[in-house]
Amino acid sequence: MKMRKIFKFVITPKLHNKPVRPEKSAISRTIKAILNCFWISLLVTAIFLSTYASESLAKVRVVSSVPNFASIAEEIGGDKVEVKSIAKGYEDPHFVSPKPSYILLLNKADLVLYNGLDLEIGWLPPLITGARNSKILTGALGNLDCSTLIPTILEVPTTKIDRSMGDIHPGGNPHYMLDPRNGIPVAKGIADRLKEIDPENASYYDERLRDFVGHLNVKIKEWDHKLAPYKGAEIVTYHKGWVYFSNWADFKEVGYIEPKPGIPPSPSYVAELIRRIQQMNVKLVIAESYYPQKTPALIAEKAGASFLTLPASVGGRDGINTYYDLFDVIVGDIKSKLANTKEAVKSSNLAGG
Amino acid sequence: MRINRFIALFFSAIFLFPPIIQKEAWGDDRDDLKKEMQQLRQQMESMQKKLEELEEKNRMVEEEAKKQKEEREVEKGITEAAPAPSREGYLQRVIQSLNPDISVIGIFTAAYFSENDPIIHAENDPENTGINLQEIEVAFQGVVDPYFRFDSFFSIGRDSFETEEAFATTLLSLPLNSQVRIGLMRAKFGRINLQHRHSQDFVTLALPAADFLGEHLNPVGIEFNFLAPLPWFMELTASVNSANGLETPTFAPDEDANNLGGLLYIFHLANFFEITEALSLSLGGSFATGSNGTEPGNRSNLYGVDLFAKYRPLRNNPYQEVWLQSEFMYRQAETEEENLDDWGAYGQLVYRFAKRWNAGFRFDFVDTDTPVTPMEEEELEGASLLRVMRSEEGEEEESVLGLLGKELRYAVMLTFNPTEFSRIRLQYEFDDPDFADSFHAVYLQFQYSLGAHGAHPF
Repeated sequence: MKMRKIFKFVITPKLHNKPVRPEKSAISRTIKAILNCFWISLLVTAIFLSTYASESLAKVRVVSSVPNFASIAEEIGGDKVEVKSIAKGYEDPHFVSPKPSYILLLNKADLVLYNGLDLEIGWLPPLITGARNSKILTGALGNLDCSTLIPTILEVPTTKIDRSMGDIHPGGNPHYMLDPRNGIPVAKGIADRLKEIDPENASYYDERLRDFVGHLNVKIKEWDHKLAPYKGAEIVTYHKGWVYFSNWADFKEVGYIEPKPGIPPSPSYVAELIRRIQQMNVKLVIAESYYPQKTPALIAEKAGASFLTLPASVGGRDGINTYYDLFDVIVGDIKSKLANTKEAVKSSNLAGG
Repeated sequence: MRINRFIALFFSAIFLFPPIIQKEAWGDDRDDLKKEMQQLRQQMESMQKKLEELEEKNRMVEEEAKKQKEEREVEKGITEAAPAPSREGYLQRVIQSLNPDISVIGIFTAAYFSENDPIIHAENDPENTGINLQEIEVAFQGVVDPYFRFDSFFSIGRDSFETEEAFATTLLSLPLNSQVRIGLMRAKFGRINLQHRHSQDFVTLALPAADFLGEHLNPVGIEFNFLAPLPWFMELTASVNSANGLETPTFAPDEDANNLGGLLYIFHLANFFEITEALSLSLGGSFATGSNGTEPGNRSNLYGVDLFAKYRPLRNNPYQEVWLQSEFMYRQAETEEENLDDWGAYGQLVYRFAKRWNAGFRFDFVDTDTPVTPMEEEELEGASLLRVMRSEEGEEEESVLGLLGKELRYAVMLTFNPTEFSRIRLQYEFDDPDFADSFHAVYLQFQYSLGAHGAHPF
C-alpha cells in the first residue's frame, strides 16, 4: 500500500497574542453582495434582451461543415436560404479549430449539413452539443449527414480494422464530393430536406434542383470529354483523397505519399516510392494545398511526372465559388498539365529523332 | 403621177405597217414574260420562306427533343439518387449498438528530480525520480435519450479509483439559449480546470491551479449556462455545488449541514472574440465562494481571470499555430486565526511549428501575504504537501489551507505527437520556492489513447 503522509499546519500566531476572532469581514460580504447584484442584473438583462430579440426568420438558415455543401445549398435554395460554411475551402477538413463563434452560428441554424463518414468527428460534435439547438441534433430534421445520400461509398473496410492502419475511416472513404456525379444525389437530398423544413417553397426548390441537375449534367459531359484522352493515366496522390475522382476520370492511383492515412512519409519511404514509380509511367503527382508541397514536388521531379497542387473543395482557391468552378479548375489544370507534357514529349521526340 | 404617189404611199404603208404591228406583238410577249418571271420570283420567295420556316421548326423540334432528353436525364438522376443501399462493411455489423463510446487514456512519466522528496503540488504530478503512473483515464460517454447526454470520466491509479467527472447535459432547446449540466463535473472556473490531464500542454499542473483548485475542482452540482444574445460568443455560467469530498482544501463542506449559504457557488463569464480569421481571443472572469470547513460559517472566495489567444494563419501554414494561455487567481479564506490572502498566476506560450511537433514555455508562481508554517513536531525537510490528505485508515481529515510562501517555477517543453492518439513530451522544470531549496526536474511523458475519437474543445 502506498504510504501517505499527513501534515498539519498552524498559522503563526501574531505577537499581540490574543487570538482575536476576526469579525466576518465586512469587505468580503460587500464584495459578495456586489457580485450577486452584478450576476442578477446580467441575468435580467439577458432575459430582457432575449424577449425582445425578434425571431422572425424569413430565410432558412443553413450551416454547412465544409464549403462544398454550402455551395450546393445556395444553388438549390436561392434567395430563400442563408448559407454559411464553418470550414474554409483551403483548410484541411480533418483538423478544423472548433471556435466558440461557430457555436453562435449553429445556435441559430435551421439545418446543418455535413460530410459524415467521420470526416468532421474531430471537431463538429462538441459544437453541435454546445449549440443549444435541438433542431440540429442527430436524427432531427435539421441535421443532414450527406454521406447517407450517396449511392456508392468506396473503400468500405470488409475486415477488422484498427488504428495501426493509420487514420482509417471505418465507414469508408469520406472524400466522395470529388466525383461530380455525386453532386446530383446530394443536391436532391438537400432539396428534399429543404422541402420538409420549408414546405411553402417546395416548388421553388424543385425548380432550382432541376436547373442545377440539368446544368451539372451538361458540365459533366463537358468534363468527361476534356479528360477522355487521358483515361488510364497513372497518378500518385499525397493523401487518399482522390479515389472518387480517379474512379470517375478513370485514372489509376498507383501510390500514395502518405504511407498510411494521416502518417507523414519518412525519407526512406519517399526514396522507396520514387524507386517504385520510376519504373512506371506516372504522369501526375497531386497534392492538396494544405499538405507539405516540397515532398510531392521532389517525387514528381524524380519520377518524371508533373506536380499539381489542386483544390479539393469549393473555396480551395480564389475564384472557386461554386461546385462547377471546382471541377472547371481541377479538370482544366489536369488537362493543361497533361497536354503540355504530351507536347513536350512529342517535341523532344521530334528534336531527338 | 397621182397613181405613183398612191402606190408609194401604199407600199410604204405596207412596209411600215408590219413593224408597228410587230412592235405591238413583241411588247405583249415581253410583258407576259415579265409577269411570268415576277410570278416565278414570288413563288421562289415564298418557297424560300417556307423552307426557312421548316428549318426553324426542325431546329425547334430538335431543341425540344434535346431538352426533353436532358429533362429525362435529370429525372433519371433525381429518381435514381436513392439513398445508399445496405452497406456491407465488417464494421456495419458491429458498429450499430446503443453502447456508450468508451475510451482509455494512459499517461506515464519518467521523472528525474535533483532533490530528494521534491515538492509535489497536484495529485497526478510525477512524485519521485523513476517512472510514474500519472493517470489512466477511462471514459464512457453517450446519449441517454432525446433529452440528455451523459459523460463520465474515471481517473485510475495503481490502486486508486476516482470519479473525475460524471454528469448529464441537457440536449433540448431551453429558453434563453441555456443548457443545464447536472452531476459531478469539473467546474467552469477559468480555463485550466476544464482541461483533462491528457489535453494539458505541460507535464505538471500550473501552480495556482494545483494549490487553489487541486488536481481539479470537481464538486457535485447543478450548473446553468446561458449564451448571451450578443453578436459575440458570451457565455454566463452559474452553478450550485456541494464541496463534499473535494481534493482541494479551499472548499470543504460546512459542519452546519443545513446552511444553503455554505454551499459552493461558482460563476463564470466567458467571452470569445474572433478578431481576424487567424487570431482568436478568449477572455473570462470567474468567482467561486463556499464554506471552507475550518469553522462553521467560514468561507473561501476565489477570484479568477483567464485569457486565451490563438494565432493560426490557415492560408500559408496550415499546421502552424501559436497559443497563449494565462490565468490569475486570488483566494481569500476565512479561518479561526486570520483571513488568508493568497494569489498566483501562470502564463504558457506554445508554438506548434509542425503538424506533429510543438514547443512551449511556462512561467507560474504563487505568493501569499499570510504564509503558514509547519508544526515543529513533524520534521519536514523542505517537503510539503498542500493538499487534503485522505488516509487509508479512515483517520480524520485535516483541512489544510494556506501557502507556505512564495514559489516561482519555470518550465520548457517539447512535444512530439506521432498521431493524434499518442504523445511523447520532454519537459525541464526549475522550481524556486522561498521556503525550501530550489530544485530541477526533467520529465519524459508518454501518453496513449484508445477508443472513440475524443473531440477536443477549442
